[in-house]
Amino acid sequence: MLLTTLMIGLVLGGTYALVALGLSMQYGIARIMNLAHGEFMIAAAFCAYVLFNGAGLPPLVTLLIALPLGYGLSWLVYSVMMHPLVKRAPNRGQLEADSILATFGLLFILQGIMLLVFGSDFTSYSYLNHPINLWGTNIAANRLVAFIVSLTLGLGLYVLITRTRWGATLRAVALSPASAPLVGIQVDKVARQAFAIGGSLAAGGGVLVSMFVTFSAAGGVVFTMKALIVVIMGGTGNLMGAIIAGLALGIIETFVTSYIDPGLSLASVYILFIIVLLWRPQGLFGTARS
Amino acid sequence: MLEINNLSISYGAHLALDGAALFAAQGETVAILGANGAGKSSLLKSLTGMVAPQEGSSAKLFGEELVGRPAHEIVERGVIAVPEGRGVFGEMSVEENLLLGANPLRARKGEQARRDEVFDLFPRLAERKSQLVRTMSGGEQQMVAIGRALMSRPDLLLLDEPSLGLAPIVIGQLFDALAQIKSQGLTILIVEQNVRASLQLADRGYLIEAGRITGSGTAEDLKSDDAVQHAFLGGASAQGAS
Repeated sequence: MLLTTLMIGLVLGGTYALVALGLSMQYGIARIMNLAHGEFMIAAAFCAYVLFNGAGLPPLVTLLIALPLGYGLSWLVYSVMMHPLVKRAPNRGQLEADSILATFGLLFILQGIMLLVFGSDFTSYSYLNHPINLWGTNIAANRLVAFIVSLTLGLGLYVLITRTRWGATLRAVALSPASAPLVGIQVDKVARQAFAIGGSLAAGGGVLVSMFVTFSAAGGVVFTMKALIVVIMGGTGNLMGAIIAGLALGIIETFVTSYIDPGLSLASVYILFIIVLLWRPQGLFGTARS
Repeated sequence: MLEINNLSISYGAHLALDGAALFAAQGETVAILGANGAGKSSLLKSLTGMVAPQEGSSAKLFGEELVGRPAHEIVERGVIAVPEGRGVFGEMSVEENLLLGANPLRARKGEQARRDEVFDLFPRLAERKSQLVRTMSGGEQQMVAIGRALMSRPDLLLLDEPSLGLAPIVIGQLFDALAQIKSQGLTILIVEQNVRASLQLADRGYLIEAGRITGSGTAEDLKSDDAVQHAFLGGASAQGAS
């Protein structure tokens, strides 16, 4: 029972980590707190659902479409909505305030469209829904697949960001945006890329989550909030921190659901969040900056 | 190789630089001398595209106009700056700073060899490859900034107050390194308040007072010039400082 709970938690946490990585890219590098992040996820989840039920397309194939599509649409959102805000913002604080308001609006637009098309019912579909025996515990194949793909994508991105020159330019923009142009980095281009990658991860996460979770058109905001908690717990801009915090969040949530009460799972997440904020405001893995 | 004409920069109503004209020949080191707020840093910032000069300003590198181009294109054309305060990536390692220095496409060829050259020039950096730059001394950070600039395979190196905040012995080492860079044929434009050290390094120099170029000459002549003495006894800073 304990091992099963742990494994289910870890698996759930893998997708949290992926979605949080997306938010971290958008917030840490492009400096945009995207409150519509969860809506991108849900939209991708519905895509997976429609393509699976309508065309028999397996979600893993949809994933291959969702990743580039999420990138492209986020690129568009950045160009149309965010770029004017970035250009006119005199400082980072103003951009944060403006982008929160703008993406708050985007949240309702996307949610409204999805409510119109899909209604407000909870949706799910059955894909790879057979148990796999792993070290004596049974776990659904779809969860396991989602976990492996999430972690592969997340760790792959982590390696790209920390080990390549391209990744170094992204980190340079995150850490010292004023110095980045000195070495010929186009801050605006990098920010756009980071925002688009974030959207791509949200879409990927949405497809993966849809394989084993019931979702509804109005459910995006919970994912956004969880991603936000993971990003802050992991330390803003700390990608490995976000991955670990995502896994931890999944485990904690699953333990509370299994051993205390399912109704308390979200509350437990927020209590944890508050404790982290009070005890280590820089995040569990962030370093305090002077 | 560098030809600046009628370069004017204003911040609102304040005219920081008024119709400056100067040039640098290939391989030359040119010092720009002036008190705080005289317009020296503004001049360098306009060359890198960080500050937009006024209409009619011109700065040509190998005959091609730099004014109006975005910062990344200017780097790609071979102009690299070490700004005042160094502008290093403090949260990244020495190695990563050098990696980013070679970010411009023009710098990719021969990157490895240039890295070795930088490590030869500053053996200290080779010893501390993986150290976070933020945790290094001011002199070492200045080495990182200059090393990073050299990684871009520049034709023109702009140095803004490289000695600022450094101990005299470190300044000596820094200028030794700059002399070595110069001897390899790189064209350098240096803005410095340490007049003696910069005239020691430079071939020629210009005097800026309150946004205007008021004099120029060979480094030897400037060393014995009365106007140079005057400018650094505080005559210009009283009206030029902002």
